[in-house]
Amino acid sequence: MKLLTANRLTDGLVLWYSGSGWVEDAALAARLEDDAAEALKAEWVARETEVVAPYLIPVTDAGDPVQREHVREFVRANGPTIGQTTFDTAKQFNRDEVF
Amino acid sequence: MYVYDQFDHALVRERNAEFSDQVARRLSGELSEDQFKPLRLMNGLYLQLHAYMLRIAIPYGVLSSVQMRRFAHIARTYDRDFGHFTTRQNLQFNWIKLADTPKILEELAEVEMHAMQTSGNCIRNTTTDQFAGAAKDELDDPRPWAELIRQWSTIHPEFTFLPRKFKIAITGATKDRAAIRVHDIGLHLTPKGFDVYVGGGMGRTPHLGHLIKSGVPGEKLLSYLEACLRVYNRYGRRDNIYKARIKILVSALGPDEYARQVEEEWAQLDQAAIDAPYYEIDRIRTFFPDPAYADKAFDAAALDRAKAADPGFARWVRNNTHPHKRDDHVSVTISTKPVGLPPGDASSAQMDVMADVADSFAYSELRVAHDQNIILPHVAKADLYDLYQQLDRVNLSTANAKKITDIIACPGLDYCSLANARSIPLSQEISKKFSDANLTDEIGELEIKISGCINACGHHHVGHIGILGVDKQGIEVYQIMLGGRADEKAALGVITGKGLSAEAVPGALERVVRLYLQLRTSPAERFIDVVERLGRETFAEALHEPA
Amino acid sequence: MWLSVWAVKLLQRRFMSQLNSSATPTLIAKDGTRILDGWALLNDEDVVGADGPYVLGFERALNELPGLNGKYGVRINPGDDIRALSPYMEKIALVEVNFPGYRDGRGYSTARILRSDLNYQGEIRAVGDVLRDQLFLMLRCGFNEFLLKDADPEGAIKAATDRFENAYQSATDARQPIWALRKQLAGA
Repeated sequence: MKLLTANRLTDGLVLWYSGSGWVEDAALAARLEDDAAEALKAEWVARETEVVAPYLIPVTDAGDPVQREHVREFVRANGPTIGQTTFDTAKQFNRDEVF
Repeated sequence: MYVYDQFDHALVRERNAEFSDQVARRLSGELSEDQFKPLRLMNGLYLQLHAYMLRIAIPYGVLSSVQMRRFAHIARTYDRDFGHFTTRQNLQFNWIKLADTPKILEELAEVEMHAMQTSGNCIRNTTTDQFAGAAKDELDDPRPWAELIRQWSTIHPEFTFLPRKFKIAITGATKDRAAIRVHDIGLHLTPKGFDVYVGGGMGRTPHLGHLIKSGVPGEKLLSYLEACLRVYNRYGRRDNIYKARIKILVSALGPDEYARQVEEEWAQLDQAAIDAPYYEIDRIRTFFPDPAYADKAFDAAALDRAKAADPGFARWVRNNTHPHKRDDHVSVTISTKPVGLPPGDASSAQMDVMADVADSFAYSELRVAHDQNIILPHVAKADLYDLYQQLDRVNLSTANAKKITDIIACPGLDYCSLANARSIPLSQEISKKFSDANLTDEIGELEIKISGCINACGHHHVGHIGILGVDKQGIEVYQIMLGGRADEKAALGVITGKGLSAEAVPGALERVVRLYLQLRTSPAERFIDVVERLGRETFAEALHEPA
Repeated sequence: MWLSVWAVKLLQRRFMSQLNSSATPTLIAKDGTRILDGWALLNDEDVVGADGPYVLGFERALNELPGLNGKYGVRINPGDDIRALSPYMEKIALVEVNFPGYRDGRGYSTARILRSDLNYQGEIRAVGDVLRDQLFLMLRCGFNEFLLKDADPEGAIKAATDRFENAYQSATDARQPIWALRKQLAGA
């Protein structure tokens, strides 16, 4: 299973594919079957006036990014882990940290 | 400091118009992301983990109070209320919207600033001594030369698509505070002209620069640099991003052969057309006079009384002031590194206070040091206590310059899309471990430098203790290097011991430091001196938990 | 939420933006006029005949120019040292500088060496990945013809010509460096 993520072209913010479109909250990311995920990614690579650098994140059965990507995706989904914007992204959606 | 004339203003305006046009073409789909990426990088715009990051040039680290206030304004208006001062004396904002960049660049241009060439495979911001024009040990002021290089390198038609980025550093003092031997080109300004070091750098394969020519006359500097760059542009490797820096070319050819090729190229160049004549150098020099020093009566006894009454102030004066060429002045280091905050970060409120104190006490001038602190180059000793109190109100009075908690750390995996591991949280754990200021003072000068990947933005190769974060199957692991230094006795650190987890690093460093305190012959013998006297292996065992 | 390939296909909309560099390349001169290409690139096995003019590859030019009379074109790839051809400059009327990818900047040095050091007066043509954002730099380095990938080649040339009134450095165009302009202004 995979998640599809990208950045929005206009403001660069992190986006997650929800199944029907892009959302900013990683908690709403859809787990996609591998084939569907690849096809979607190819679709969005071509639509680069909307999003930049779409890529797939392999996830475990529990829905967390697999080891190698874990820290990076945790930070992307929740915000920096330190400083003035600690977990800014999670706070923005009034949720605890995901992943 | 340098003041734009009509030509400088026009050029920045034209460049901003060009970039705004490129942004518009990207948004409309005329430019692909592949095509746009080098163009946006050439203007300092990265796509990082969370959003676009805009890096703004602070030429040779010099800025005015007006410019600092503008940073505060941009932080408030376009970003999340703070900015980050970098190891290359620049400033970056972390949450910038692509569509806002033309407006931000316009706001910067109003105060004679820009983001040109703060990234991309071109000649980057020239860096220099943060105490330039103020330091007691300075032979000549490097700033006019840095400005000359800035102008020559800006939109250079031949050197905008180099094999890789290109960084020039310059110093005019006996002590090297500009780390010239770990730059692509390092310039040492001497009474006989420039000593030119080429091929230094950090990254995956660190090298110290080689002296390839001594005594290049100032009025020939630009054509000599042009020859250096041309040889690099033509023969530097382009097949492998990790082998594309000039250090690889110089080491493949050998410094003598590289120097010979440069000499040959230099002889063929139309030097008269390239070199700015002395009247231009003199014109630039007029922008860097001494400030109109205030003749404030300095009462040494009053300063002593204030220090006695306020030990925090006494510590700050001891640690965060630097000898000035005038006895009644000092240079002051404003530490951006209190416990709990990322090195180099400053809020808009802190930026405003720094601008205000620069106006009140420092002739409106500030510097960004490569260790990510802010410098007030000229402060009358009579004003020190007033200055200290104003800084103290906004958490800018940490008295740790050059101490173990004055850590350089790159943004790391909390922000950077290239990083493999986090840097800032580790720097905080270390600074908590050494939060006892008496202990910190006892340890004395000790530079810790942390990078979150091999690109080495945190300069880990030249830290007395260098720390490199790597990714081992999804776990952040930190390699420890000992014995690096970036000064006039530059040396590269060597990995010592096995990689450690983030949790293990602060304890390991504490053991190393305890051992150092036992081994040193006197408090004057610094950590780096002991490492050099006894060898880094002396400390290898201490890095690991005793079994 | 799970999504099948079928659902994805259903969601697909065709969305193609007009990528400017997908335009057919146009040969255009630095004054904005379109030009016809009278030159033919010779393959290595082709024989040099009477009905030129021909563009020779770099190796071939090195080997054959000594024995040839007349005017030829040569094609320079990024690794080729233009100075090796310096004895034959009077036989060269066109230098095609190839940019296989637009981030490879060696061609800029080639053009400057031709104009400044070898005093070459003939045509210097940029071919390959030539996009509008490089034109200003190319004009400054001495290129005067461009096989340009742009939907509006005339507009691209005009934009590049007008973008910057002045420049800090001297190069091979007519601009005087800003330091010289400052001196004139101060003297006036």
